Amino acid sequence: MWMPTGDELSMLGPHWALVGTIVAILIGAIIAGRNWRVAGTIAMVGGLLTAGLCALGWKGLGTNWAGMAGGAGGVPMLVADQFSYFFIFLISIFLVLIAGMWFLGQDARLPEKLARKRDATEFYVLLVGSAFGMALMVSTTNLLMIIIAVEMTSLPSYALAGFRKKHRLATEASLKYILFGAVTSAIMIYGASLLYGQYHSLDIVVIGRAIVEQLTIGTTEAGGAILNAPTVLMSVSIVAFMIGAMFKVSAVPFHFWCPDVFEGASIEITTWLSVASKAAGLGLLLRVVAVLAAQLGDGAEQTLNWVRLAVAVMAALTCTLGNFSAYRQTNMKRLFAFSSIAHAGYMLMAVAIILPTGGAASGAAHPAFSAIVLYITVYLLMNLGVFGCIAMVYWATGREDIGAFNGLIRRSPVIAVMMVAFLFSLVGMPPLGGFIAKFWLLAALFDSGPIGILLVIVAVANTLFSLYYYARVAFAMCFSDDGQPAIRVPFLGQAAATVCALAILLIGTLWAGNIKTFSDERSSNLYAVTKQAEQPVEEAVKTAELDFRE
Amino acid sequence: MFPDEFYDFLLDGVLTIGLTHYLILSVLLFSLGILCMVTKRNAIGILIGVELVLNAASINFVAFSKYQTGGLDGHIVALFIILLAAAEAAIAIAIFMNFYNTLRTIDVDRGDELRL
Repeated sequence: MWMPTGDELSMLGPHWALVGTIVAILIGAIIAGRNWRVAGTIAMVGGLLTAGLCALGWKGLGTNWAGMAGGAGGVPMLVADQFSYFFIFLISIFLVLIAGMWFLGQDARLPEKLARKRDATEFYVLLVGSAFGMALMVSTTNLLMIIIAVEMTSLPSYALAGFRKKHRLATEASLKYILFGAVTSAIMIYGASLLYGQYHSLDIVVIGRAIVEQLTIGTTEAGGAILNAPTVLMSVSIVAFMIGAMFKVSAVPFHFWCPDVFEGASIEITTWLSVASKAAGLGLLLRVVAVLAAQLGDGAEQTLNWVRLAVAVMAALTCTLGNFSAYRQTNMKRLFAFSSIAHAGYMLMAVAIILPTGGAASGAAHPAFSAIVLYITVYLLMNLGVFGCIAMVYWATGREDIGAFNGLIRRSPVIAVMMVAFLFSLVGMPPLGGFIAKFWLLAALFDSGPIGILLVIVAVANTLFSLYYYARVAFAMCFSDDGQPAIRVPFLGQAAATVCALAILLIGTLWAGNIKTFSDERSSNLYAVTKQAEQPVEEAVKTAELDFRE
Repeated sequence: MFPDEFYDFLLDGVLTIGLTHYLILSVLLFSLGILCMVTKRNAIGILIGVELVLNAASINFVAFSKYQTGGLDGHIVALFIILLAAAEAAIAIAIFMNFYNTLRTIDVDRGDELRL
């Protein structure tokens, strides 16, 4: 009989805080009735508590395991390390900001104002529920837990996308979202069953080791493995399994839901999905890739070449298609949906180069890990800012198309100036945070062989191209004034946008070194995940068999 | 009538139920599920396809768990898959109801207002 120890329970503090928030919102609804202020305040306090627990806990945190042993020879089901704490911190801070955005939107004269007030409790429960799913997604190495986490993230998101009932676009968006989501998660679960069948374990650490053992045909002088080509069954099951994470990140063959859902859902949820869903998906992908890379050792050759090629091609396509489709959009939410696909492409490029160069033997994590952590931090600020500005214009005018932004520099100078800052940061202009993020990403790509250099070329070409449609928005705001009246913008909203823009400016200038150290620390002990389960698979399976018989 | 080897094969390989039989069943279910998802234009039809694929995965998990080593893991996962499928179906049908109330149809091709 397994019982949790006190240490294990306290390691999962952030997870407990998120679960507690859900319960507290529900109890709050029983006590205070359907009060949107109470529900929102509890959600914000819960999010801040979670973020605080992460920030207090991650200093000098090693790799800690908690939960039942996940399958034969496996490590326990949940892991609490710097990396998972960082992602939970990011997601819960974002949760607080989205809750704040919902608060601000409550004052606007929207057609759905009454429904928003009435259903606020459900909104916050679903929002925190999907945040909890994401928290599980970034802190596990177990197939069962990954399946549960992906579903737990998805199910509330489907409901959130269709939150505006009877609204034609929202209804259609949620229908498309749940159909794509259900299909991809079903295929992911089937892939997981094939992996379990071949390697007799639910733990991806054990599975990764078994894969590498099965393929190794020798070692190089540097101590890395020389690998055979993978078998067809292995390829099919890994690809099927990764589809779930690719759907969350909205990589190219699985991106169709993204623009439709972003356009149809209300703007708070669009913002939530644009950052949190991608962050969690990337966290999961990085964890899996780190497990594989750590098994390979330094200078491995022929290292799962098809995986790296497939991910590289996917990343390049994601980036290019996102940028080219954004080019002719007129709806702002849809435009930035494609922009977010393009940014997912940049981050996937860094995922693609991790595998061949492993580097686990020396213990130092691959620079791409820290580049992605840095990128996602800056990306959160930029995207929040852009969608916040779009939301404020929407609340004031009821319009989301690019025409509503004409002459914004006169109608609401603060919003327009901040928006320009966010846009140029998204492009990657030098004094802003977007430049630092892109710089480290491209530097990591550049150092990693011919595929990396090809990806750098694709990324730079895409950046130049993306300048056009970002600048188009800036041009509409500054130079094509068609005499629309000035808009009233909430003071808190202006303040939040200013703080976001200042943070981006500081990251781009004064804090550039700090943020690099920060992301290095957060991603430093990713490879340590694999150190725990040193027992060979056969023995572990025998032990499990004995336990089972008894 | 047939050589002895054939009868041996029939007894050992076909009539004695083993892992292969379960895998063949699961692959059939998976293929039918994918076919269902691709061909149906009705939202409920697509959901049925998804459930078929999930059941195929459950059969895989249980069969691997029974015929190979690995303890009870597969059985537990199968239970969780049933639970997740039920939760997913509940939300899916709620969304289909909402779609029907708005557009008076659940034909997925009718949801075509969100484009470019």
